[in-house]
Amino acid sequence: MATFTVINPKLTMAPADCARIGAVLCRLKGRSMILNDVPLVGMLKTRMGWLEDRQRVLAQNVANADTPGFRTRDIEPLDYRKAVSQPPPQKTTLALTNPEHIAATASGDSDRYGRPRVKTSEIRPSGNAVVLEEEMMKVAQNQIDYQAATSLYSRSLGLIKTALGKSR
Amino acid sequence: MDFVKSLSIAATGLRAQAGRMRVIAENLANANSTASSTGGDPYRRKVPTFEAKFDRELDAQTVSLGRIQRDTSEFQNRYEPGHPAADARGYVRYPNVNSLIEAADLKEAQRSYEANLNVVTATRRMITKTLDLLRT
Repeated sequence: MATFTVINPKLTMAPADCARIGAVLCRLKGRSMILNDVPLVGMLKTRMGWLEDRQRVLAQNVANADTPGFRTRDIEPLDYRKAVSQPPPQKTTLALTNPEHIAATASGDSDRYGRPRVKTSEIRPSGNAVVLEEEMMKVAQNQIDYQAATSLYSRSLGLIKTALGKSR
Repeated sequence: MDFVKSLSIAATGLRAQAGRMRVIAENLANANSTASSTGGDPYRRKVPTFEAKFDRELDAQTVSLGRIQRDTSEFQNRYEPGHPAADARGYVRYPNVNSLIEAADLKEAQRSYEANLNVVTATRRMITKTLDLLRT
């Protein structure tokens, strides 16, 4: 348990509230990023991470636009329900029951550079299936989505600031 | 940061396409390079190739210019009896460069180059948006 000092001793508070604030402060101390505990902000972070990943896969598609035999890749769309039910991305970890055990850090996403898309609109004689126009559309869409996510993120921060009474 | 990775991947695309343009420019520049004496071979057209390479650090397939190969098709023959490289029948062997094909290839390289630039611009905008979060 973390220790915390009461800032205003005159402040009267119900025991339940006290416990809640204590828990929040515990989390404040234990976590590097408290904002992850706010579901909306955590979700937006997940979304931004996904868009970042997608940008990399799209850049790969465009860079290989003339490589023979290259197939377009894309990553799995972000599952909204899953994101809602588990806001911070959960990493799979192995239980260490013996001090001799080596901690394994396995990440859930196994296919990080995207899997080849099954549906291809056209394949050139060289076996290349990249359609630049389609990729450009996807890049533009990705950029707009990212912009939306960052705006929502700053708005959420604004909400928290308003709640704290710091907005002017 | 993953955006830097996206930029690096796009940069490999830019480099590869620029290399391809260089080869095309070489072909076009030498479209009329004949041998200086009888029996010599004129310039032979170069063909750029692309290779997808898995970059472990970037965690993606990057592209690079592979071996530059030679076009093995026939040379063109033109009747120019006065030319120093003309054979006994008066024919001069000219390079197997077709400027129409080169122009089309150049256009394609340019299009791909611009697409990669587009990715760079989009990614940079996304980075700016991320940095803007600090200012709120």
